[in-house]
This record gives sequence, C-alpha cells and structure tokens, in this order.
Amino acid sequence: MLEIADIKVFRNKRQTLIIETLSIAAGEIVAIVGPNGAGKSTLLQLINMHLSYKTGKMVLFGEDVAGADKHSLRLRSSMVFQEAMLLDDTVFDNVALALRFRGMAEREIQAKVNKALEDFHCAHLATRMARKLSGGEAQRVCLARALVYEPELLLLDEPFAALDSPTRNTLLAELRQVAIARGTTVILVSHSFNDVLYFAERAVVLQDGCIVQDDMPEVILRRPVNAIIASLIEMDNILPCQVKQQGEDIFVQLVNGVRFAWKGKTMPVATVCCLPGDALYIVDEQLAYQHNLLIVMEGNVSQIVPGLGMYRIMVESQGLSLTVRVPRERAASRVAIGMQLKIAFNPSEAQLV
Amino acid sequence: MDSIFSGLLQALYLLVNGDAEVYEVAILTIKVSGFATLLSVSIGIPVGLWLALKEFPGKRFFLSLINFGMGLPPVVVGLFVSLFLWRYGPLGMLGIMYTVWAMIIAQAVIASPIVAGLSFAALSGLNPKLRLQLLSLGATEWQANWLLIKEAKLGLLAAVMAGFGGVVSEVGASMMVGGNIKGQTRVLTTATVMEVGKGNYDIALALSFVLLIVVYGIVALLTYMQNSGKRDSV
Repeated sequence: MLEIADIKVFRNKRQTLIIETLSIAAGEIVAIVGPNGAGKSTLLQLINMHLSYKTGKMVLFGEDVAGADKHSLRLRSSMVFQEAMLLDDTVFDNVALALRFRGMAEREIQAKVNKALEDFHCAHLATRMARKLSGGEAQRVCLARALVYEPELLLLDEPFAALDSPTRNTLLAELRQVAIARGTTVILVSHSFNDVLYFAERAVVLQDGCIVQDDMPEVILRRPVNAIIASLIEMDNILPCQVKQQGEDIFVQLVNGVRFAWKGKTMPVATVCCLPGDALYIVDEQLAYQHNLLIVMEGNVSQIVPGLGMYRIMVESQGLSLTVRVPRERAASRVAIGMQLKIAFNPSEAQLV
Repeated sequence: MDSIFSGLLQALYLLVNGDAEVYEVAILTIKVSGFATLLSVSIGIPVGLWLALKEFPGKRFFLSLINFGMGLPPVVVGLFVSLFLWRYGPLGMLGIMYTVWAMIIAQAVIASPIVAGLSFAALSGLNPKLRLQLLSLGATEWQANWLLIKEAKLGLLAAVMAGFGGVVSEVGASMMVGGNIKGQTRVLTTATVMEVGKGNYDIALALSFVLLIVVYGIVALLTYMQNSGKRDSV
C-alpha cells in the first residue's frame, strides 16, 4: 500500500522530516504518535502528496508518486483534519461532494450518502446546515464524507482532538469497526496514546522528524525508546539512574541508593529507568516469598489518587517519587497517607533509556 | 435646503416622465461601470485567489502594490490611460480614445486593485487547510478553487460592491479618456460636473439623485445576492 524510503522534506529551508524507511500494508490500522512538532502532520501531508520532497522515493498503491498523476492517486484515498472542514452547505451536500467530484450519477449519490450517514449515525442531520452542527456531529459527518466513496487509504490528522473523551472513544470504535469491515488502511495521527491503544494495531513514533520506534502499541507503552517517548505515553515512573560496570557485572543505581543487576549482554547507555506503575508492587505476606527475585525499596505514602479499577499511590523513597498502581480494594483497605511501605519490582520490567 | 428639495423633485420628475436624455446617460453609466466592474472582477478575483493560495518571493511587495492600487487617484489613472490611448501612444492604433471602451479600461484599472485586494482579504480568511481537504476528497485544482470562491462569497461580493462603487462614482478618469461627449461618452458623473459648471444646480442635483438611485438599486441587488447565501438550518 505505502512504501517510503530515504525521504527528506524541507520547509523554509529547514529539514522537517527524514524517513529512512516506512512500509504500511493494505488493511493495516496504524497510528503515528509523537510530541508536538515531531512531524506527524507533515508525514500525513507527505503521504497525501501535498508536500514535495528532495530525495528518496514514495510508492503509493504500487505507483511511484514522483511520476504519477497525483489527482488519480488521491481519488483512492481520503483525509480527515482536526477541524471539521465542512462547506457552508447542507450535511447531505457536504457528504455528496466527493461523489460529485467523481462524476457519479445523482441517484447513486443519494443511496451512497444515505448509507454513509447511517453508518455514522447521522442520517437525521442530512438536511441540516453543516456549520450549525456540534463538534461531535461535525466530525461524524466528516468521517461519513471521508468514507462515502470507500477509499482504500484513510488519513486521519487528529480528527478527534477537540472532542470529549466519551465521544472520542465512541467515534474511534465506530471508525475501527467500519475500517476493519471494509479492509480500509487507516493512518491515524494522534498525540494521545490512549487513542492509539483504543484504535491501532501498530504505532509509529516520530521525534524531530525521524521514526524512533515502530512497534505494537502495548510494547511502546512498556518499552519506550527514550525519556521523551516515555513521558508522551505517560509512563508512571521515569527515574534518573546511573549504569555502572563492576567486573563482568552491570549494575543500575537509582538516586535513592537502590541498586540492581542488569541482565543484558551489553552495557546500556542510559540515564533514565522507566517503570510502569503496575510493575511496582506493595510488599506483603503474599509477595514476601518472591523477595529474592524482586528489588525492594522503602518509602512513605505521600498521596493516594483514586481511579476506576486502579488507584495510584504516590510514594516518596529517599528523594525518589514513585507511582504504584494498585487495585481499588487494596488501596482503600491497606494504604493511608504517611504510611511506610515496602515497594518491589522485577528488574526485567525496567526499561533503561 | 430648498435647492436640495427641488433637485429631488426634479429628479423624480425626470425619471417619471421618462426624460430620454437622462435615461440615456443613466443606462450608459450602468453599461460602462458594469462592464468595467466585470472586467475588474475577472482580473481581481483570480489575482486575489492566487495571492491567497501561493507563497512566492516578493509576495509582500506585490501585496503592497495591490494595496497602493486600491487608493489610486482616478485623475492619475485617467492621465496614464490617455497617454497610452492617445493617437501617438503605445495603444494609439486601437483608436478608442474618447469612446466608452477607453472609459471602461480606465475604470477597470481603478477597480481591479480594489477587487483584488478585498478578494485576497476574503479568501485569506478561509481556513488554509480547506483547499487541502477538497483536494484530498478528489477535487481537481479548478473544482477546489471554485468551491473556495463559493465559500468566500460574502467577502467577494463585498469586493465587487466596493469595485462598482469605486468606478460608478469616479469622474476624473471618465472625463479625461471619454471627453463627456453627448450621446456617446456622457455618464451621470461627468454630466453632473458639467451642469455644475454651467450653474444648473437643480439639474446637477437631479442627476446626482438619479446616480444615487442607480447605485442603490445595484448595490441592493448585490446585497440580496450576498444574503441569499445565508441559509438557516432546516
């Protein structure tokens, strides 16, 4: 479906995108994530052929974009922006627009538009003026418009960023369902990793215009490649550390003095140790027998943040702030602010970056 | 106050009685200014669209020229157009000096920067991603541009009104290149100036009121078109 190799994009004489290699297969649902200014939207504009590139090659639908008729390639794809780019016309006419561009007969347009509006639960809005719709309604209409001609490739540039969380999750779920049913390839740009977990099977992480990680979302969630990505995915514990070698052994030392052996074959170049909150455990009788496998730290509870299912317990351990995620019943019955706790983790769950 | 009132009455009298000379001058005014506005729209809107969509070196300088052109004094335009169309001028072979075509050209030169500048402002007000969205949906360049023009309809009609207002009310350029020849190049503004020169204030006032009625009629029509685009939700 899409192959990019060694492409460099410049804007105002500044290099904004360097893609060494990116390959997306037909039917894949991929998310592009990264901090602000990482080049996510630029990549999407490149794929949609709105940007020129000086070096490299991009192949879309099996055709080299450099020598292809861009208009005919765009007829096979679609794009939805963050802002609802609806014309000052009725919802029906907005959705029908793409079909009219393709010279379709009015009777066929009527049937296809009605079906698309029904798919996204906005058939009742057909005669309304598009500019009078609420944010959620407008984005539903945008999705219906983007999918009405059943494109092979759908590009989404943070289309749900301005919507509230429940609406966003509902739309993502509906869109995913439609995309899977039709076999549409979807590339979603988002700065919310939560959306990515909800939606995509694969996530490509961009930073400073380069791809720094390309993996399944759950892998990126637990194994980010650097501290910036760790903070992007809202890693609970991003702990400063030092990596030292003693003889043949490698040790990681945290700022609270806790030290643990690193089982890797080579010495990692790292200054940060990432630990998900659910990889830290409160030591109790049940866990005590595993002590020899786990690294134990002591600290005092400074805050308890309630949440659905999981509570977050903030623990101060000799200058190190730790976040531990525990089930609600555990937090409610056994933990109180000021209480001294023993916290343990398995070193294999630590990610050094 | 009496002269204003008598001028208004005279205007109504001339219009109601179908004074042939007044009607002839009024119709010529509409024709000349209408053609000039059409010409300026066909130049100004594409220039405004091009400026709104394209980035190129020297764009700011070009914009400053357009803005400067919006305030061009009609007399200066008249002088330059005269020099070009004069028998020995670069376009003298056309032989259109002291004809309505010379007046239309002069008025179009006055109105084009006004239409271009205001069209640029209207089209720049649109979300720049809208064009990308239309192209993404499969529009050709022409289809996308046409839809952008439709989207900016309110602002563009204001540009047309401003352009028409600029040419229908000018007198200096029309006088210089048209010569105010009775039955050929006499329009309401040049006729008014001539009547004032002759001391016929009541006729001058009457012609002024006819001019106001003509301008109001056309601007009211454009305003109706402008507002007919604002549809309410069904």
